[in-house]
Amino acid sequence: MLKLVVCIKQVPMVTELPWDEKTGTLRRDLAPGMMNPACKHALEAALQIKEKHSAHLTVITMGPPAAKEVLYEALAMGADSTILICDKILAGSDTYATSWILAQTINKQCDKADLILCGAFTADSETAQVGPQLAERMNLPAVAYAEKIEVNGRTLRVRRIVDNFRETMEMECPALVTVSMENYLPRYVGLGGLQSAFDENQIKVMDTATLGIVAADVQKEGSRTKVRRVFLRKTQKENEFFTGVAVNVVHEFLNKYERKISTVIGKSIEGKERTRGK
Amino acid sequence: MQFNPCMKHKLIRDSARHFAETELAPIAAEIDKNATFPTAVAEKMKKLNYFGLQVPKEFGGAALDSVSAAIVVEELSRVCAAVGLCVTVHNGVAVFPFLQFGNKKQNEHYLPKLASGEMIGAFSLTEANAGSDAGSVETTAVQDGKGYVLNGTKIFVTNGGICDLALIFALTNSDQKQLQSSVFIVESSCEGFLRGELEDLCGMRANPVSSLFFENCRVPEENILGKLGMGMKIGMTTLDNGRIGVAAQALGIAQGAFEAAVKYAKERQQFKKPIASLQTIQNYIADMATEQAAARLLLYRACELKDAGEPYGCEAAMAKLYCSTLASKTTSLAVQIHGGYGYSKEYDVERYFRDAKVTEIYEGTSEIQRMVIARAVLSKLTL
Repeated sequence: MLKLVVCIKQVPMVTELPWDEKTGTLRRDLAPGMMNPACKHALEAALQIKEKHSAHLTVITMGPPAAKEVLYEALAMGADSTILICDKILAGSDTYATSWILAQTINKQCDKADLILCGAFTADSETAQVGPQLAERMNLPAVAYAEKIEVNGRTLRVRRIVDNFRETMEMECPALVTVSMENYLPRYVGLGGLQSAFDENQIKVMDTATLGIVAADVQKEGSRTKVRRVFLRKTQKENEFFTGVAVNVVHEFLNKYERKISTVIGKSIEGKERTRGK
Repeated sequence: MQFNPCMKHKLIRDSARHFAETELAPIAAEIDKNATFPTAVAEKMKKLNYFGLQVPKEFGGAALDSVSAAIVVEELSRVCAAVGLCVTVHNGVAVFPFLQFGNKKQNEHYLPKLASGEMIGAFSLTEANAGSDAGSVETTAVQDGKGYVLNGTKIFVTNGGICDLALIFALTNSDQKQLQSSVFIVESSCEGFLRGELEDLCGMRANPVSSLFFENCRVPEENILGKLGMGMKIGMTTLDNGRIGVAAQALGIAQGAFEAAVKYAKERQQFKKPIASLQTIQNYIADMATEQAAARLLLYRACELKDAGEPYGCEAAMAKLYCSTLASKTTSLAVQIHGGYGYSKEYDVERYFRDAKVTEIYEGTSEIQRMVIARAVLSKLTL
């Protein structure tokens, strides 16, 4: 039986959140949480693999007690068991520390996992680092931004699109794949599944002591990045209005922006059509 | 006393909202215009347990609590009230009577089919001369051997055009001195079960509301729900539950109209500023928000009482009365805030405005709700 692990994250449900200027962190408390969209695609990929092959699927998240919510959702969608890594000392951990925490958890709780899936990036910080870092921590082969995963025995065939090129790669299990949002449209959550998730409550809550994680490896001490300053980018777009007779407006517009447009589309727009109008 | 939604209720709302916004929002205006029921979306809903909201797991249902079921109806109605109506009628007044009065054999036979949506249910009490006065039903069921023969006409049957099973209220004693009504489980495949044309209604147009005709329609004796003569009891018990559903539906419509109005008020510029900055509009928004919060508490209180096994008829009537009045008021204000655009079919609030009105009429008019509430209040020894 394949052992699948999906790492997911709870993110705020709005696209723009205010910052706490003192700490440089997002005010996550101001918006309700949801499962990070790319993580949901990764979960869907795992569920489709589980439907084709005999597999056990464990879903892991790290966060405050409220993050249980995304685990209930994962259970409703078809996960077999879930783990919430929850400890106050984990607050402030960056991707480097987070990947360590996840690696420790998988090593201790999901012995001999065959395939670990992560969302390619999160909607709140978009670093896309945790998946690849986790692969490094666990010394696993990995492919990022996958849009298709095929399992054939112990061999994984993974397809991805990078820089407009489609790549197909093969690797042996155990391995890690981060899943993009190109494919694997997540299934709807069934109402009966949700009720069962709460009735059966297959969530294991674990703290750092149980997982053998020490403060020095997490929080600020264990983190390699430091937020120096956070600022909002100022919008520099301005509307410009051209008024007058249509023909003149078009000429005025083209005289002013011809070069910019040509640069963007990669060819000159000076042609017969334009000269005819003069 | 818990006023904040628990994690389960939040997830139920998020899931139903995601489904409604993805599947129903793109087609809601079109199916309203063409008066067509979205069969393909309903097929998806069947697989997700929308037709077995409170049916126990053993029969294939979702086994939700009443607040969860209300939330689901709210969220569907927030986007498409006609589909919210289909779901709340199926669950609230077609499935619920089985859970309350069905015998083992009936439940084992029908509940799995109803919960999976293989059978869509309807509830047929209303007739040309029997609306608020439920005792004036004229459809008859005359015993003939081991079965009954039904004759009569039911009107304004929600889901009438698509139902596979209807609960029919009929008189089972021809002796005029001792009229009693009973409820029959009638499958649409029965000979003598005929559907009328779909009604051309003001709102809820995507729901196939129709008349049902029974012409010498023979049903076996075992299709009597509960016991012979229990019609009035089944009807009243079922309507108490149905009122929770209609209250949820009305609240969902109000929520949809409210959100549209707030969004528009922030965008619409007049006097070189958003109209949301005008005090009059702010007053409308404040009133809508306050009344919706109050309505939600009334509705969930009725749900909690029901799940606790306490009497909830009066509270369900209060919730239905308040939520439906609110829906009409909120949708009217939403149109007002939109100005001329709100009167155009280009904007959803025009549809919400038409959909809201009937929530004050069906499952007991607002006048009947007041009667129910007043009776309950006046019969109390202490207030």
